[in-house]
Amino acid sequence: MFVCGYHFPASMGNDVSMDKVIEKVNEEAGDLSGVSSIEVTGETAKGEIVEKFTVTPGSFLFTALADYYNKSDVPQKDGFKMIYYTNKYQISEISKSVDGDDAKALCRKLDDMNLYRLKIA
Amino acid sequence: MAALRQIAFYGKGGIGKSTTSQNTLAAMCHYYGQKILIVGCDPKADSTRLILHEKAQSTIMQLASEAGTVEDLELEDVCKPGAGEFNPEDETITDGYIMCTESGGPEPGVGCAGRGVITAINFLEEEGAYDDELDFVSYDVLGDVVCGGFAMPIREGKAQEIYIVMSGEMMAMYAANNISKGILKYANTGGVRLAGLICNARMTDREYDLAKNLATQIGTQMIHFVPRSNHVQRAELRRMTVVEFAPNSEQAMEYRELARKIIANDLKVIPTPLEMDDLEALLMEFGLEEEVEVEAIGKRAEEA
Repeated sequence: MFVCGYHFPASMGNDVSMDKVIEKVNEEAGDLSGVSSIEVTGETAKGEIVEKFTVTPGSFLFTALADYYNKSDVPQKDGFKMIYYTNKYQISEISKSVDGDDAKALCRKLDDMNLYRLKIA
Repeated sequence: MAALRQIAFYGKGGIGKSTTSQNTLAAMCHYYGQKILIVGCDPKADSTRLILHEKAQSTIMQLASEAGTVEDLELEDVCKPGAGEFNPEDETITDGYIMCTESGGPEPGVGCAGRGVITAINFLEEEGAYDDELDFVSYDVLGDVVCGGFAMPIREGKAQEIYIVMSGEMMAMYAANNISKGILKYANTGGVRLAGLICNARMTDREYDLAKNLATQIGTQMIHFVPRSNHVQRAELRRMTVVEFAPNSEQAMEYRELARKIIANDLKVIPTPLEMDDLEALLMEFGLEEEVEVEAIGKRAEEA
Protein backbone atom coordinates (compact mmCIF):
# COMPACT_ATOMS: atom_id res chain seq x y z
CA MET A 1 0.00 0.00 0.00
CA PHE A 2 0.98 3.64 -0.26
CA VAL A 3 1.49 6.05 2.63
CA CYS A 4 3.03 9.51 2.28
CA GLY A 5 3.77 8.53 -1.32
CA TYR A 6 5.92 5.54 -0.32
CA HIS A 7 5.13 2.02 -1.36
CA PHE A 8 4.93 -0.53 1.43
CA PRO A 9 4.91 -4.08 0.08
CA ALA A 10 1.74 -6.17 0.26
CA SER A 11 3.42 -8.46 2.79
CA MET A 12 3.07 -5.60 5.32
CA GLY A 13 -0.72 -5.78 5.00
CA ASN A 14 -3.31 -3.05 4.53
CA ASP A 15 -2.69 -1.19 7.78
CA VAL A 16 1.01 -0.33 7.98
CA SER A 17 1.93 0.89 11.47
CA MET A 18 2.71 4.56 11.99
CA ASP A 19 6.12 3.59 13.39
CA LYS A 20 7.06 1.97 10.09
CA VAL A 21 5.87 4.98 8.12
CA ILE A 22 7.75 7.43 10.36
CA GLU A 23 10.90 5.31 10.08
CA LYS A 24 10.58 5.27 6.29
CA VAL A 25 9.94 9.02 6.00
CA ASN A 26 12.86 9.89 8.32
CA GLU A 27 15.18 7.58 6.39
CA GLU A 28 14.12 8.94 2.99
CA ALA A 29 14.11 12.59 4.08
CA GLY A 30 17.81 12.45 4.98
CA ASP A 31 19.58 15.55 6.22
CA LEU A 32 17.15 18.47 6.46
CA SER A 33 19.50 20.76 8.40
CA GLY A 34 19.49 23.20 5.48
CA VAL A 35 15.72 23.68 5.73
CA SER A 36 14.78 26.24 8.37
CA SER A 37 11.05 26.45 7.79
CA ILE A 38 8.22 25.48 5.47
CA GLU A 39 5.73 28.03 4.25
CA VAL A 40 2.25 26.57 3.74
CA THR A 41 -0.78 28.10 2.05
CA GLY A 42 -4.32 26.78 1.74
CA GLU A 43 -6.64 27.91 -1.01
CA THR A 44 -10.26 27.43 -1.98
CA ALA A 45 -11.38 25.87 -5.26
CA LYS A 46 -11.50 29.43 -6.66
CA GLY A 47 -7.83 29.98 -5.77
CA GLU A 48 -8.50 32.36 -2.87
CA ILE A 49 -5.81 31.90 -0.20
CA VAL A 50 -7.51 31.39 3.14
CA GLU A 51 -4.68 29.85 5.22
CA LYS A 52 -1.04 30.80 5.58
CA PHE A 53 1.28 29.34 8.18
CA THR A 54 4.85 28.25 8.79
CA VAL A 55 6.07 24.88 10.01
CA THR A 56 9.35 24.85 11.93
CA PRO A 57 11.71 21.87 12.51
CA GLY A 58 11.22 19.37 15.29
CA SER A 59 8.10 17.50 14.26
CA PHE A 60 7.05 14.67 11.96
CA LEU A 61 4.90 17.25 10.18
CA PHE A 62 8.02 19.25 9.29
CA THR A 63 10.02 16.22 8.16
CA ALA A 64 7.21 14.77 6.04
CA LEU A 65 6.38 18.08 4.35
CA ALA A 66 10.05 18.86 3.65
CA ASP A 67 10.58 15.37 2.27
CA TYR A 68 7.49 15.72 0.07
CA TYR A 69 8.71 19.07 -1.25
CA ASN A 70 12.17 17.74 -2.04
CA LYS A 71 10.92 14.59 -3.77
CA SER A 72 7.85 15.84 -5.58
CA ASP A 73 8.15 16.82 -9.24
CA VAL A 74 4.78 18.60 -9.50
CA PRO A 75 4.98 21.93 -11.35
CA GLN A 76 5.95 24.90 -9.13
CA LYS A 77 3.92 28.08 -8.80
CA ASP A 78 6.06 30.93 -7.40
CA GLY A 79 8.27 28.32 -5.74
CA PHE A 80 5.26 26.57 -4.14
CA LYS A 81 4.34 22.96 -4.87
CA MET A 82 0.85 21.56 -4.39
CA ILE A 83 0.52 18.65 -2.02
CA TYR A 84 -1.64 15.68 -2.98
CA TYR A 85 -4.79 15.50 -0.87
CA THR A 86 -4.03 11.89 0.07
CA ASN A 87 -0.58 12.85 1.34
CA LYS A 88 -1.76 15.84 3.36
CA TYR A 89 -4.41 13.74 5.11
CA GLN A 90 -1.97 10.92 5.80
CA ILE A 91 0.72 13.27 7.10
CA SER A 92 -1.85 15.06 9.27
CA GLU A 93 -3.16 11.78 10.68
CA ILE A 94 0.30 10.67 11.79
CA SER A 95 1.37 14.10 13.00
CA LYS A 96 -1.70 14.40 15.22
CA SER A 97 -0.68 11.13 16.91
CA VAL A 98 3.01 11.82 17.46
CA ASP A 99 3.63 15.60 17.40
CA GLY A 100 3.03 18.29 19.99
CA ASP A 101 0.08 20.65 20.29
CA ASP A 102 1.45 23.27 17.87
CA ALA A 103 1.75 20.79 15.02
CA LYS A 104 -1.64 19.30 15.90
CA ALA A 105 -3.26 22.71 15.56
CA LEU A 106 -1.74 23.10 12.08
CA CYS A 107 -2.89 19.62 11.11
CA ARG A 108 -6.47 20.49 11.91
CA LYS A 109 -6.20 23.10 9.16
CA LEU A 110 -4.77 20.52 6.74
CA ASP A 111 -7.79 18.32 7.38
CA ASP A 112 -10.11 20.66 5.50
CA MET A 113 -11.04 20.43 1.81
CA ASN A 114 -8.75 23.19 0.56
CA LEU A 115 -5.76 22.74 -1.72
CA TYR A 116 -2.45 23.26 0.11
CA ARG A 117 0.88 24.37 -1.31
CA LEU A 118 4.35 24.27 0.24
CA LYS A 119 7.61 26.14 -0.12
CA ILE A 120 10.74 25.37 1.84
CA ALA A 121 13.08 28.08 3.11
CA MET B 1 8.04 -8.22 -20.65
CA ALA B 2 5.54 -7.81 -17.79
CA ALA B 3 2.42 -9.96 -17.83
CA LEU B 4 -0.82 -8.41 -18.99
CA ARG B 5 -2.82 -7.05 -16.06
CA GLN B 6 -6.61 -7.14 -16.31
CA ILE B 7 -8.14 -4.51 -14.07
CA ALA B 8 -11.71 -3.32 -13.59
CA PHE B 9 -13.38 -0.25 -12.19
CA TYR B 10 -16.57 -0.82 -10.22
CA GLY B 11 -18.74 1.50 -8.14
CA LYS B 12 -22.21 2.86 -7.52
CA GLY B 13 -24.02 4.26 -10.57
CA GLY B 14 -23.29 7.95 -11.00
CA ILE B 15 -20.22 7.94 -8.76
CA GLY B 16 -17.90 8.89 -11.63
CA LYS B 17 -16.49 5.49 -12.60
CA SER B 18 -16.16 6.21 -16.29
CA THR B 19 -14.70 9.67 -15.70
CA THR B 20 -12.27 8.40 -13.09
CA SER B 21 -11.25 5.36 -15.09
CA GLN B 22 -10.68 7.29 -18.32
CA ASN B 23 -8.71 10.05 -16.60
CA THR B 24 -6.61 7.51 -14.71
CA LEU B 25 -5.94 5.33 -17.74
CA ALA B 26 -5.10 8.44 -19.74
CA ALA B 27 -2.55 9.37 -17.05
CA MET B 28 -1.10 5.84 -17.14
CA CYS B 29 -0.59 6.26 -20.88
CA HIS B 30 0.45 9.94 -20.95
CA TYR B 31 2.98 9.93 -18.08
CA TYR B 32 4.04 6.27 -17.93
CA GLY B 33 3.78 5.07 -21.53
CA GLN B 34 1.38 2.24 -20.74
CA LYS B 35 -0.36 0.36 -23.55
CA ILE B 36 -3.98 -0.14 -22.68
CA LEU B 37 -7.17 -1.71 -24.03
CA ILE B 38 -10.42 -0.35 -22.56
CA VAL B 39 -13.40 -2.68 -22.65
CA GLY B 40 -16.52 -0.72 -21.76
CA CYS B 41 -18.95 -3.14 -20.15
CA ASP B 42 -21.88 -0.81 -19.57
CA PRO B 43 -24.84 -0.72 -22.00
CA LYS B 44 -24.62 3.09 -21.73
CA ALA B 45 -21.36 2.80 -23.74
CA ASP B 46 -19.77 5.88 -22.20
CA SER B 47 -16.48 4.29 -21.08
CA THR B 48 -14.35 5.52 -23.96
CA ARG B 49 -15.80 8.85 -25.13
CA LEU B 50 -13.13 11.02 -23.48
CA ILE B 51 -10.31 8.94 -24.96
CA LEU B 52 -11.91 8.93 -28.41
CA HIS B 53 -13.12 12.55 -28.28
CA GLU B 54 -16.46 11.25 -29.49
CA LYS B 55 -20.03 11.32 -28.25
CA ALA B 56 -20.37 7.53 -28.03
CA GLN B 57 -18.65 4.64 -29.71
CA SER B 58 -20.62 2.08 -31.75
CA THR B 59 -20.84 -1.01 -29.59
CA ILE B 60 -20.06 -4.62 -30.41
CA MET B 61 -23.68 -5.64 -29.82
CA GLN B 62 -24.99 -2.81 -32.00
CA LEU B 63 -22.59 -3.61 -34.84
CA ALA B 64 -23.31 -7.35 -34.54
CA SER B 65 -27.00 -6.68 -34.82
CA GLU B 66 -26.44 -4.59 -37.96
CA ALA B 67 -24.06 -7.15 -39.50
CA GLY B 68 -26.18 -10.19 -38.62
CA THR B 69 -24.02 -11.95 -36.03
CA VAL B 70 -20.88 -11.18 -34.08
CA GLU B 71 -18.97 -13.59 -36.34
CA ASP B 72 -19.55 -11.18 -39.21
CA LEU B 73 -17.47 -8.50 -37.49
CA GLU B 74 -13.75 -7.79 -37.78
CA LEU B 75 -11.67 -6.54 -34.87
CA GLU B 76 -11.06 -3.22 -36.65
CA ASP B 77 -14.84 -2.65 -36.78
CA VAL B 78 -15.19 -2.61 -33.01
CA CYS B 79 -11.81 -1.70 -31.58
CA LYS B 80 -10.80 1.90 -32.21
CA PRO B 81 -7.54 3.68 -31.43
CA GLY B 82 -7.75 6.60 -29.00
CA ALA B 83 -7.64 10.13 -30.37
CA GLY B 84 -4.56 12.35 -30.49
CA GLU B 85 -1.78 11.27 -28.17
CA PHE B 86 -3.60 8.01 -27.33
CA ASN B 87 -3.37 6.79 -30.94
CA PRO B 88 -0.65 4.11 -31.38
CA GLU B 89 0.70 6.03 -34.35
CA ASP B 90 1.17 9.27 -32.43
CA GLU B 91 4.38 9.09 -30.41
CA THR B 92 4.90 12.81 -29.86
CA ILE B 93 4.02 12.67 -26.15
CA THR B 94 4.09 9.01 -25.23
CA ASP B 95 4.99 5.56 -26.57
CA GLY B 96 1.86 4.32 -24.87
CA TYR B 97 -1.55 4.10 -26.51
CA ILE B 98 -5.14 3.30 -25.69
CA MET B 99 -7.44 1.10 -27.77
CA CYS B 100 -11.16 1.36 -27.10
CA THR B 101 -14.13 -0.94 -27.40
CA GLU B 102 -17.64 -1.00 -25.95
CA SER B 103 -19.63 -4.18 -25.42
CA GLY B 104 -22.99 -2.46 -25.46
CA GLY B 105 -26.09 -4.33 -24.43
CA PRO B 106 -29.84 -4.53 -24.67
CA GLU B 107 -32.31 -1.64 -24.60
CA PRO B 108 -33.23 -0.61 -21.05
CA GLY B 109 -35.69 -3.14 -19.63
CA VAL B 110 -34.98 -5.79 -22.29
CA GLY B 111 -32.58 -8.71 -21.93
CA CYS B 112 -29.43 -9.21 -19.90
CA ALA B 113 -26.40 -6.90 -19.99
CA GLY B 114 -24.21 -9.82 -18.94
CA ARG B 115 -24.78 -11.58 -22.26
CA GLY B 116 -23.47 -8.59 -24.20
CA VAL B 117 -20.42 -8.34 -21.98
CA ILE B 118 -19.37 -11.96 -22.32
CA THR B 119 -20.11 -12.05 -26.07
CA ALA B 120 -17.91 -8.99 -26.45
CA ILE B 121 -15.05 -10.31 -24.32
CA ASN B 122 -15.03 -13.69 -26.08
CA PHE B 123 -15.05 -11.98 -29.47
CA LEU B 124 -12.14 -9.70 -28.49
CA GLU B 125 -10.10 -12.66 -27.21
CA GLU B 126 -10.77 -14.77 -30.29
CA GLU B 127 -9.87 -11.92 -32.63
CA GLY B 128 -6.55 -11.29 -30.85
CA ALA B 129 -7.36 -7.94 -29.23
CA TYR B 130 -5.49 -8.98 -26.06
CA ASP B 131 -2.11 -8.91 -27.78
CA ASP B 132 1.31 -9.34 -26.17
CA GLU B 133 2.13 -5.67 -26.44
CA LEU B 134 -0.56 -4.58 -24.01
CA ASP B 135 0.27 -3.72 -20.40
CA PHE B 136 -3.33 -3.40 -19.18
CA VAL B 137 -6.85 -4.39 -20.16
CA SER B 138 -9.34 -2.27 -18.25
CA TYR B 139 -13.02 -3.12 -17.82
CA ASP B 140 -15.41 -0.34 -16.91
CA VAL B 141 -18.39 -2.10 -15.41
CA LEU B 142 -21.93 -0.92 -14.69
CA GLY B 143 -22.77 -0.15 -11.07
CA ASP B 144 -25.71 -2.45 -10.45
CA VAL B 145 -24.59 -5.39 -8.31
CA VAL B 146 -27.66 -7.52 -9.09
CA CYS B 147 -27.26 -7.26 -12.87
CA GLY B 148 -25.62 -10.14 -14.75
CA GLY B 149 -23.36 -7.64 -16.46
CA PHE B 150 -21.88 -6.74 -13.12
CA ALA B 151 -20.43 -10.14 -12.37
CA MET B 152 -19.47 -11.23 -15.87
CA PRO B 153 -15.88 -9.89 -16.07
CA ILE B 154 -15.01 -11.43 -12.70
CA ARG B 155 -17.12 -14.58 -12.98
CA GLU B 156 -15.45 -15.50 -16.23
CA GLY B 157 -12.01 -14.95 -14.68
CA LYS B 158 -11.24 -11.95 -16.89
CA ALA B 159 -10.83 -8.99 -14.52
CA GLN B 160 -8.35 -9.96 -11.82
CA GLU B 161 -7.74 -6.69 -10.04
CA ILE B 162 -10.70 -4.60 -8.93
CA TYR B 163 -10.71 -0.90 -8.05
CA ILE B 164 -13.91 0.39 -6.47
CA VAL B 165 -14.70 4.04 -7.10
CA MET B 166 -16.58 5.45 -4.12
CA SER B 167 -17.04 8.59 -2.04
CA GLY B 168 -17.79 9.44 1.58
CA GLU B 169 -21.53 9.49 0.87
CA MET B 170 -23.59 6.82 2.52
CA MET B 171 -24.93 5.07 -0.59
CA ALA B 172 -21.53 5.04 -2.26
CA MET B 173 -20.14 3.29 0.80
CA TYR B 174 -23.01 0.79 0.89
CA ALA B 175 -22.35 0.07 -2.78
CA ALA B 176 -18.60 -0.35 -2.20
CA ASN B 177 -19.32 -2.85 0.55
CA ASN B 178 -21.83 -4.71 -1.65
CA ILE B 179 -19.36 -4.88 -4.53
CA SER B 180 -16.84 -6.36 -2.08
CA LYS B 181 -19.41 -9.06 -1.33
CA GLY B 182 -19.67 -9.73 -5.07
CA ILE B 183 -15.87 -10.01 -5.33
CA LEU B 184 -15.72 -12.32 -2.32
CA LYS B 185 -18.27 -14.62 -3.96
CA TYR B 186 -15.96 -15.25 -6.92
CA ALA B 187 -12.57 -14.83 -5.19
CA ASN B 188 -12.19 -18.47 -4.25
CA THR B 189 -13.30 -19.93 -7.57
CA GLY B 190 -11.37 -17.47 -9.74
CA GLY B 191 -8.37 -15.27 -9.16
CA VAL B 192 -10.22 -11.98 -8.67
CA ARG B 193 -8.94 -9.71 -5.90
CA LEU B 194 -9.83 -6.32 -4.52
CA ALA B 195 -6.95 -3.92 -5.21
CA GLY B 196 -8.22 -0.74 -3.57
CA LEU B 197 -10.85 1.94 -3.12
CA ILE B 198 -10.55 5.15 -5.09
CA CYS B 199 -12.29 8.00 -3.29
CA ASN B 200 -13.76 10.25 -5.97
CA ALA B 201 -14.40 12.94 -3.41
CA ARG B 202 -17.65 14.78 -2.97
CA MET B 203 -15.78 16.97 -0.47
CA THR B 204 -18.08 16.04 2.41
CA ASP B 205 -16.99 16.25 6.05
CA ARG B 206 -14.38 13.71 7.17
CA GLU B 207 -14.52 12.01 3.80
CA TYR B 208 -10.91 10.85 3.91
CA ASP B 209 -11.41 9.30 7.36
CA LEU B 210 -14.54 7.48 6.26
CA ALA B 211 -13.05 6.13 3.04
CA LYS B 212 -9.83 5.09 4.74
CA ASN B 213 -11.62 3.32 7.58
CA LEU B 214 -13.98 1.50 5.24
CA ALA B 215 -11.00 0.38 3.18
CA THR B 216 -9.11 -0.86 6.24
CA GLN B 217 -12.11 -2.74 7.57
CA ILE B 218 -12.82 -4.56 4.31
CA GLY B 219 -9.17 -5.56 4.10
CA THR B 220 -7.95 -3.22 1.38
CA GLN B 221 -6.44 0.24 0.97
CA MET B 222 -7.85 3.63 0.04
CA ILE B 223 -5.36 3.96 -2.77
CA HIS B 224 -6.03 7.59 -3.64
CA PHE B 225 -8.27 10.50 -2.71
CA VAL B 226 -9.22 12.32 -5.91
CA PRO B 227 -10.44 15.84 -5.08
CA ARG B 228 -13.29 17.54 -6.89
CA SER B 229 -12.18 19.94 -9.59
CA ASN B 230 -13.85 22.05 -12.24
CA HIS B 231 -11.13 20.92 -14.65
CA VAL B 232 -12.83 17.52 -14.85
CA GLN B 233 -16.08 19.00 -16.07
CA ARG B 234 -14.35 21.47 -18.39
CA ALA B 235 -12.40 18.63 -19.97
CA GLU B 236 -15.53 16.44 -20.23
CA LEU B 237 -17.40 19.16 -22.07
CA ARG B 238 -14.60 19.05 -24.64
CA ARG B 239 -14.76 15.22 -24.65
CA MET B 240 -11.23 15.11 -23.32
CA THR B 241 -9.39 13.79 -20.31
CA VAL B 242 -7.83 16.19 -17.83
CA VAL B 243 -4.28 15.09 -18.70
CA GLU B 244 -4.82 16.27 -22.29
CA PHE B 245 -6.86 19.35 -21.44
CA ALA B 246 -4.63 20.70 -18.67
CA PRO B 247 -1.58 18.43 -18.25
CA ASN B 248 0.09 20.69 -15.67
CA SER B 249 -3.01 21.29 -13.55
CA GLU B 250 -3.29 20.07 -9.97
CA GLN B 251 -6.05 17.67 -11.03
CA ALA B 252 -3.84 16.13 -13.73
CA MET B 253 -1.16 15.65 -11.07
CA GLU B 254 -3.68 13.85 -8.85
CA TYR B 255 -4.54 11.45 -11.69
CA ARG B 256 -0.83 11.00 -12.40
CA GLU B 257 -0.24 9.99 -8.79
CA LEU B 258 -3.16 7.55 -8.87
CA ALA B 259 -1.76 6.12 -12.13
CA ARG B 260 1.67 5.64 -10.54
CA LYS B 261 0.12 3.81 -7.60
CA ILE B 262 -2.00 1.49 -9.77
CA ILE B 263 1.04 0.57 -11.86
CA ALA B 264 3.07 -0.21 -8.71
CA ASN B 265 0.23 -1.73 -6.68
CA ASP B 266 0.78 -5.21 -5.28
CA LEU B 267 -1.87 -5.22 -2.53
CA LYS B 268 -4.56 -7.47 -3.94
CA VAL B 269 -6.79 -9.10 -1.36
CA ILE B 270 -9.84 -11.25 -0.84
CA PRO B 271 -12.14 -8.67 0.76
CA THR B 272 -13.82 -8.99 4.13
CA PRO B 273 -17.11 -7.09 3.61
CA LEU B 274 -18.87 -5.57 6.59
CA GLU B 275 -22.21 -6.61 8.00
CA MET B 276 -24.82 -3.87 7.67
CA ASP B 277 -24.68 -3.09 11.41
CA ASP B 278 -20.92 -2.58 11.26
CA LEU B 279 -21.23 -0.34 8.23
CA GLU B 280 -23.87 1.77 9.97
CA ALA B 281 -21.64 1.95 13.06
CA LEU B 282 -18.82 3.24 10.88
CA LEU B 283 -21.07 5.90 9.35
CA MET B 284 -22.17 6.95 12.84
CA GLU B 285 -18.62 7.02 14.19
CA PHE B 286 -17.66 9.56 11.55
CA GLY B 287 -20.82 11.59 11.88
CA LEU B 288 -22.52 10.73 8.62
CA GLU B 289 -25.50 9.38 10.49
CA GLU B 290 -26.70 10.15 13.99
CA GLU B 291 -27.62 7.30 16.26
CA VAL B 292 -31.38 6.81 16.26
CA GLU B 293 -33.29 5.54 19.28
CA VAL B 294 -35.34 2.41 18.59
CA GLU B 295 -38.53 4.32 19.49
CA ALA B 296 -37.79 6.92 16.78
CA ILE B 297 -37.66 4.44 13.88
CA GLY B 298 -40.47 5.07 11.39
CA LYS B 299 -41.48 8.37 13.00
CA ARG B 300 -41.63 11.74 11.28
CA ALA B 301 -39.26 14.55 12.28
CA GLU B 302 -41.98 16.34 14.25
CA GLU B 303 -42.95 13.14 16.08
CA ALA B 304 -39.44 11.89 16.92
